[in-house]
Amino acid sequence: MQTILNVNDLSVNFDTSQGLIKAVDNISFSIKKGECLGIAGESGSGKTQTFFSITGILSDNGTATGIADFNDVDLLKLTEKELSKIRGKKIGFIFQDPMTSLTPHMNIGNQLIEVSMIHKKNTKNDALKKAKEVLDIVKLPRIENLLKKYPHELSGGMRQRVMIGISLMCDPLFIIADEPTTALDVTTQKEILKIFNDLKKYKDITIALISHDIGVISEVSDTILIMNEGRIIEKGNCKEVLTSPKHEYTKHLLSCVPEWMK
Amino acid sequence: MIQLIIKRLAIAIPTLIIIIAFVFGLMRVAPGGPFTNERALPPEIEQKINEAYDLDKPLIQQFGIYLSKIAKGDLGPSYKYKDFTVNELILSGFPISLTLGISAIIISLLLGSLLGIIAAIKRNTIFDYAVMGISLIGICVPSFVLAPILSLFFGLYLGFLPISGWNGGNIYNLILPVVSLSLPQIAIISRMMRSSTIETLNSNFIRTARAKGIPKRRIITKHVIRSSILPIIDYLAPATAGLMTGSIIIEQIFGLPGIGRYFVVGALQRDYTLVSGVMILYASLLMFLILLSDILRAILDPRVKIK
Repeated sequence: MQTILNVNDLSVNFDTSQGLIKAVDNISFSIKKGECLGIAGESGSGKTQTFFSITGILSDNGTATGIADFNDVDLLKLTEKELSKIRGKKIGFIFQDPMTSLTPHMNIGNQLIEVSMIHKKNTKNDALKKAKEVLDIVKLPRIENLLKKYPHELSGGMRQRVMIGISLMCDPLFIIADEPTTALDVTTQKEILKIFNDLKKYKDITIALISHDIGVISEVSDTILIMNEGRIIEKGNCKEVLTSPKHEYTKHLLSCVPEWMK
Repeated sequence: MIQLIIKRLAIAIPTLIIIIAFVFGLMRVAPGGPFTNERALPPEIEQKINEAYDLDKPLIQQFGIYLSKIAKGDLGPSYKYKDFTVNELILSGFPISLTLGISAIIISLLLGSLLGIIAAIKRNTIFDYAVMGISLIGICVPSFVLAPILSLFFGLYLGFLPISGWNGGNIYNLILPVVSLSLPQIAIISRMMRSSTIETLNSNFIRTARAKGIPKRRIITKHVIRSSILPIIDYLAPATAGLMTGSIIIEQIFGLPGIGRYFVVGALQRDYTLVSGVMILYASLLMFLILLSDILRAILDPRVKIK
């Protein structure tokens, strides 16, 4: 299978008042087309910053070095303007906190159509058609009505579905999902994970699923990366790593999962 | 919306009555009266004058008479400006004060917000430091210091602008007073706008907008400003109050025949009706602006429900 993302010697540093902080330390990995890669690790292990850095949405005090070939283009060499043409179009994002991740004063419809109107130069009508299509994929009811609503009128689960919808507006090759289920209750989590499984099956989208929850990752991912303190501890087939972990840290991480879930 | 306006009007009337009562009482408590002079009037004449203005009646009755007149839109005769009613005095001065105030508030809002947004976008650059430094000076230097310096420099040394007078509302006569009135407000508004814009820029939904690949300019115009302007909308009413009190001084310095001077002179001379007339006007204006800022806020922020 073709490799879609190839990361080599990536390091991310943050210039803070306490000095330079190394968030990601010289890591290398690759993702194949159509694969779902789970990235597991505790808070502060650098899993989120890895993906923020290669797509250029690090906070201002962060710098990234290394190579990140996405479709044979090194993302780290692109300017902000060139990157913004890839984000949202070829790479979709889903963030952790659906309660604050949508613009509060813009209705759902506008937040959706904006993406394809900018990247694909779609007319408003075409964009609206696409918006209804993606909202159908994420299984939101009463779409016509929903487009006119504002984020505060929706529940957390619905907002996260809208977020997923936004990421699908331009039929991306790759979706980065940063803790997409962490802020949601367990039943909603299940439903969201089902959407991810459907996307994998029917749309052939490559997914990077970042989570500290091994249970969530094991439900969707094919391969897994275990990260700790900015380094990759273990990588491989998801099932193999979880059933027979080689590294002490992975064993430790797995021991945190309750017995009945295994 | 209409419900809100009706509700506010219903609250405004008792509020105004309380304000009138307060001013009425305060003025009566102050020693002396409108017709007290250094040389005392003969008692019979004073008696006559007091009768003519109902000042001989018990206070409660005086207040009742005054309120019923106000209800008819009559603010009464001025006790000091002979042959003028308070209505006439206010009508002649208010357009001038209003022109001054509205120009100042529009300039402060536009320029203050614009400078604040740019400073936030270019934070920690020379531009940001310059705007914040100058605005700090703008907040510290009161307008009664600023105004004479400005008129000295632009009026006398450079001779560009007239330093006093209304001149029928000539734009050149307006520049110096409006500038000295709005500079402190520009300073405050730009600092508020800067910090709220920075806060918005750091919020999660702006990260989402960046992740959607939206161009920088559009992020600012469509996603940032509508959120970051909200504190400024809330500041609208206090800013107006600041401009009103500021204009009393500015009108004196630049010799403008607005209503600011009636307020000061009226209070000093115990011109009871004039002071409470101006007070009623200021209070109504302020209440109107609070209503306006509530309506604007509801329009800008869909989370606010108008009740």
